[in-house]
Amino acid sequence: MATDGIIKIQNLSFFRGDRAIFKNLNCTIKAGKVTVIMGPSGTGKTTLLRLIGGQLKPSQGKVLVFDEDIAQLNRKQINQLRARMGVLFQSGALFTDLSVFDNVAFPLREHMQLSDDELYNRVLLKLEAVGLRGARDLMPSHLSGGMARRVALARAVALEPEIILYDEPFAGQDPIAMAVLQRLIKDLNTQMKLTSVLVSHDIAEALAIADEVILLGEAQVLAQDTPAALRASNEPAVRQFIHGEADGVIPFHFPAPPLEDELRGPRILL
Amino acid sequence: MINFISLVGATVLNRLAQIGQALVMLLQSMLVMPTASSLYRLVQQLYVVGVQSLIIMLVSALFIGMVLGLQGYTLLSAYGSEQAVGQMVALTLVRELSPVVAALLFAGRAGSALTAEIGLMKATEQLASLEMFGIDPLHRIVAPRFWAGIISLPLLVAIFSLVGVYGGHLVAVDWLGVYSGSYWGNMQQAVDFNEDVLNGMIKALVFAFLISWIALYQGYSCMPTSQGISAATTRTVVYSSLAILGFDFILTALMFGGAS
Repeated sequence: MATDGIIKIQNLSFFRGDRAIFKNLNCTIKAGKVTVIMGPSGTGKTTLLRLIGGQLKPSQGKVLVFDEDIAQLNRKQINQLRARMGVLFQSGALFTDLSVFDNVAFPLREHMQLSDDELYNRVLLKLEAVGLRGARDLMPSHLSGGMARRVALARAVALEPEIILYDEPFAGQDPIAMAVLQRLIKDLNTQMKLTSVLVSHDIAEALAIADEVILLGEAQVLAQDTPAALRASNEPAVRQFIHGEADGVIPFHFPAPPLEDELRGPRILL
Repeated sequence: MINFISLVGATVLNRLAQIGQALVMLLQSMLVMPTASSLYRLVQQLYVVGVQSLIIMLVSALFIGMVLGLQGYTLLSAYGSEQAVGQMVALTLVRELSPVVAALLFAGRAGSALTAEIGLMKATEQLASLEMFGIDPLHRIVAPRFWAGIISLPLLVAIFSLVGVYGGHLVAVDWLGVYSGSYWGNMQQAVDFNEDVLNGMIKALVFAFLISWIALYQGYSCMPTSQGISAATTRTVVYSSLAILGFDFILTALMFGGAS
């Protein structure tokens, strides 16, 4: 297996209706690194994750995961591949009818033949890694948002995958929960020798843990570089996004005819 | 005009595509080899879909039987034939009211709940996350609920008829004084197992199929937002009710209709 690119995206195009979400997109995600995919809302970050996970099929081009074209695999092969890939969904996506323990045990029960003791120990270790061993008997409805995401993270790494995909891990979290998640993502990446792919638009948090950043915009990769290089970049679109400016190359206004033409009646206030 | 025609065409195509998707969903979820754990999930769903609908069925059946007894007695006693009230109550229930009313209640009680549950699972990405664990949500989530619906409703309809007949007995015999022997005797003579009971159960089976299919498809294909789920739940009740009443007419015409 090529170690340089564990996920390779080649000439990818993807359409929703008539709208091109991606047009001829190319990028490579390196093994063992934390890669953050960033970009303004609506640039298809989550869509890209779903393409990598094989839940969507590209309109054109290829998505290679572990050097396999995921769109060409049959159901069984996809499932084998997915067992090597963990996903943390934006909402956590815990099964609401199962306790914390059973949620983490779920993938183990489905994919591995473990004795009761082995299963118990393994779940407990995963929960310990996210600091929630004490919460194992709670139901998901009794967890705070940050805790739910940590349980989901324990579940995502339960099968010891090689790749883990995070969909907006920091969205809607308080500063403490964010710091906890940042630490967990970084720690898991080093300890388990994972390849982590994050989709995020929380710039400060994401840049702090990223080894590499892919900046999406206008159906293309605008830039792919280290956080330091992006911060120093003079590219206008990159600057605008990284420094969070409201208006710039990416306009503040949704396209519309001039305001004067659209106002009605006498122009008293103008 | 051209716009109107193309709009009609687009709508028709859209609807046909939806029916196609619903069929594919149905086949993929129905054609599953049962395993021990899938049987366990079926039993769980039988409890949720069937047992938990029992109370509403029992109470409605009792009142409908009582109303039939009362109306039947008033009508028949004008001709001095109030002994026939038993057969009237039983035939009305077994042929028509039990399947139709139980199915309408089932659509409101169980069908809407199925749609909302699956819609919410979709909105909270639980279905997507099952998929990422290599588990087909059609097999895991949709199939047991579908079979639970198919099995539960005919049983509920049978219970509905039984309780309704006792409701009629309560009013006609215990209250209004029809002779108990003629209530049961006339009923026994008039109700034919194949002609009446079996046809009623076939109706129940058809309605169960329609309701489960509509409810699960609406949940599975809804927009994963709060408006989407609420719209899908409403559609489940509306489409199911219309399908029940429409198919009831067709089935009645096939079973009991015709001048021959």
